[in-house]
Amino acid sequence: MADFARRQKKPLIHCLSQEKGANMKGNVVSTTALVLLFLNISLLNGQSPPGKPEIVKCRSPDKETFTCWWKPGTDGGLPTNYSLTYQREGEKTRYECPDYITSGPNSCFFSQKHTTIWKIYIITVNATNRMGSSASDPLYIDVIYIVEPEPPQNLTLEVKQPKDKKPYLLIKWFPPTVIDVRTGWFTMEYEVRLKPTEADEWEVHFAGQQTHFKVFSLYPGHRYLVQTRCKPDHGYWSKWGLESSIEIPSDFPTKDTTVWIFVAVLSAVICLVMVLAVALKGYSMMTCIFPPVPGPKIKGFDAHLLEKGKSEELLSALGCQDFPPTSDCEDLLVDFLEVYDNEDEQLMPPHSKDYPGQGVKPTHLDPDSDSGHGSYDSHSLLSEKCEDPHAYPSTFHIPEVNEKPENPEENIPCIPDPQSISKEGNGPYFPTDESKSSTWPLPQPGQHIFRSPYHSIADVCKLAGDPAGALASLLDKAEKDILKSSKTFETGGEGKVDEQKEMEDAHSETKQDASWPLLREKAPLIHGKPPDYVAVHKVNQDGVLSLYPKQNENGHQPEKSRAPEGNKEYAKVSGVMESNILVLVPHAQATNMALCEEPAKKAPPSLEQNQSEKDRASLTAASSNCRGPLGGLDYLDPTGFVHSFH
Amino acid sequence: MDSQGSPRKAGALLLLVVWNLLFCQNVHSLPICPSGAANCQVSLRDLFDRVVMLSHYIHSLSSEMFIDFDKRYAQGRGFIAKAINSCHTSSLATPEDKEQAQQIPPEILLKLILSMLYAWNDPLYQLVTEVGGMQEAPDAMLSRAKEIEIQNRRLLEGIEKIVGQVHPGVKENDVFSVWSQLPSLQAADEDSRLFAFYNLLHCLRRDSHKVDNYLKLLKCRIIYDNNC
Repeated sequence: MADFARRQKKPLIHCLSQEKGANMKGNVVSTTALVLLFLNISLLNGQSPPGKPEIVKCRSPDKETFTCWWKPGTDGGLPTNYSLTYQREGEKTRYECPDYITSGPNSCFFSQKHTTIWKIYIITVNATNRMGSSASDPLYIDVIYIVEPEPPQNLTLEVKQPKDKKPYLLIKWFPPTVIDVRTGWFTMEYEVRLKPTEADEWEVHFAGQQTHFKVFSLYPGHRYLVQTRCKPDHGYWSKWGLESSIEIPSDFPTKDTTVWIFVAVLSAVICLVMVLAVALKGYSMMTCIFPPVPGPKIKGFDAHLLEKGKSEELLSALGCQDFPPTSDCEDLLVDFLEVYDNEDEQLMPPHSKDYPGQGVKPTHLDPDSDSGHGSYDSHSLLSEKCEDPHAYPSTFHIPEVNEKPENPEENIPCIPDPQSISKEGNGPYFPTDESKSSTWPLPQPGQHIFRSPYHSIADVCKLAGDPAGALASLLDKAEKDILKSSKTFETGGEGKVDEQKEMEDAHSETKQDASWPLLREKAPLIHGKPPDYVAVHKVNQDGVLSLYPKQNENGHQPEKSRAPEGNKEYAKVSGVMESNILVLVPHAQATNMALCEEPAKKAPPSLEQNQSEKDRASLTAASSNCRGPLGGLDYLDPTGFVHSFH
Repeated sequence: MDSQGSPRKAGALLLLVVWNLLFCQNVHSLPICPSGAANCQVSLRDLFDRVVMLSHYIHSLSSEMFIDFDKRYAQGRGFIAKAINSCHTSSLATPEDKEQAQQIPPEILLKLILSMLYAWNDPLYQLVTEVGGMQEAPDAMLSRAKEIEIQNRRLLEGIEKIVGQVHPGVKENDVFSVWSQLPSLQAADEDSRLFAFYNLLHCLRRDSHKVDNYLKLLKCRIIYDNNC
């Protein structure tokens, strides 16, 4: 500092000495120099105006008086006076602090006289010393928002052990002296905390506006410390008051038998409830907890069938779709037999590409066009017609791809010559499904049918409007075609055929060529001409299916009007009797029938009634919707009985 | 459909009412002496307990609202300096310390309280409307404003009943302090608008504290004879 001053002085004096002549300049310069000198001297002495003081806080213990404390700034090395001035809201006058003493150094105490509630005070502290003064930032306060009381007083502890009652520790205190709670001017709330001497955590309890507190849960033989504090209804909490301690006597009973009694009763009740629940719902509970292990179950297995001893039915019930087992559907579908009404029966390979849904198609007789094949107008179609193969205009024609489509009047052949049919050793399949219809599915009128009279059975079936899937599954090489045609039919017709099932059926059933022994009255027409097709006329007791041509052109609505004949379905051809009578094996899938919308139909007696009924009697009932999970179509290997044709 | 629905609705309503009666014990429950009950006489003690509870609650809400607003919008703006002497109820001659409050007769004090509550009806309504219109207003502020408005009306009812019991026949107060700061609340200038809100909340906080304090005083004086 001194060096600095000296350095300052030197150039100054130098200047001064150099410019003696300039009076004016000299005056200014000299004044400046003096001032600087003075300042330098002061700095040298370390004196300066006081630093800015800061008001720390203001507090009111009772809502009647308040105190403000400030923190002085630097004093500048000189004795500094501090003064507090204030101004009240709505008044112009500035007052000075009335009491600097009561509250200690650097404080100002406002007595009751000087305290106004609900009014803003603007308080400023000034620091003054010889060098200057500085003022603090003004503080705006309202007394009601700065209330912080003193801790409660006269804390007393007492262990009370009344007779026949639980013992407890009674804690009592008084509000701080200055507080006026009696008149309601001041509303106080209290808090108590206690802990055993050696514990770390305090146990805090809110005591509301009361001035006593009872503590029941204590450890006997321990020393407890207790403290209280208080707070105004709107304000700050006080500090914790003085600690009090008390020794809990060792004979302080802590056992609480009532609790144990309560626990025991509760447990008993719970046990009782559980016992009742188990007793009432024991089984269901056990089932819930230990669910029964499901035994092995074969889908479609019917124990009754087993008892009856009809293995075929049983197997059919199981839905052996690949029974007879086949390896390759394609092969089987390649050829199908064409069975004419004469002895010359040839197997014609299907040209499935040409015709939709070609396969073994039952040749249908177009009733409209009397092609000379004759029409099935006799009831027992098979029986009659087959007697004279030649007479039959429609023998079973294995659908021939090459055949012209517009040749619907294919003979519905009798059951084809097994030999011819069995070129591949396949016999006709007579797929039936769970649908009740035991007649051949008849095409619905107006359906577009493929040109070829030979259609896959499926197609035919579809034509019939029945679930033709079973039929469709006949030996058709182009299964897909079948499906396609089926689909067209289905959509056009009932639309319920399950294509997939047909496919499966086709696979399973059309493993072999089967001359479609179905007697169809009508060949399916593509152009919307309702075909003639064979309807099962009746089924004899031993499952002989007699077919007859369908004469009714229009009312070919099969199934619908047909009354269910019973629940027997014919799932398989067990044999072919002479004169083209198919012996069908009843299908025991009664349950699957339920799935079928078509009423169960068994051909038999009621068949002769009306055409529609006859129509209904579709053998296959290849309604795919009637197909149960088994797919509904079971076919016997006709190889076994193919030879019986003829 | 309606014929089926109405008995069910009535049943449900009845159930709801019974439920409320049984379980809603706080201040937000049914009003004392629903209108029409001629022989309903709630004790003065219960009336006072109720109004004290209401006033305490209202002040807590107002305080929270102000502190929230101050922290959020008013920092560093020096609003407090401008809010000096700007409450519309300052014209009312309310006691300003304990002595004055104890010297004033209870009926006058009650009348003063009523005047203050009436004076706040309109501003509270405007506050709710304007806070509702403020996009940046937090939900808590709006809900508190609404709550204060509702409870203020209840408090008014309760005090009128007390007045009816303590000093029946007292003429209705004609002095209403008019609040004329609505234009400021709706000012386009953000600073002015915020200050208007600040001022309103500041005055509300103070006046609610006054009412609370006066009622607690009166309760101890009237019910407990200055021996709370």
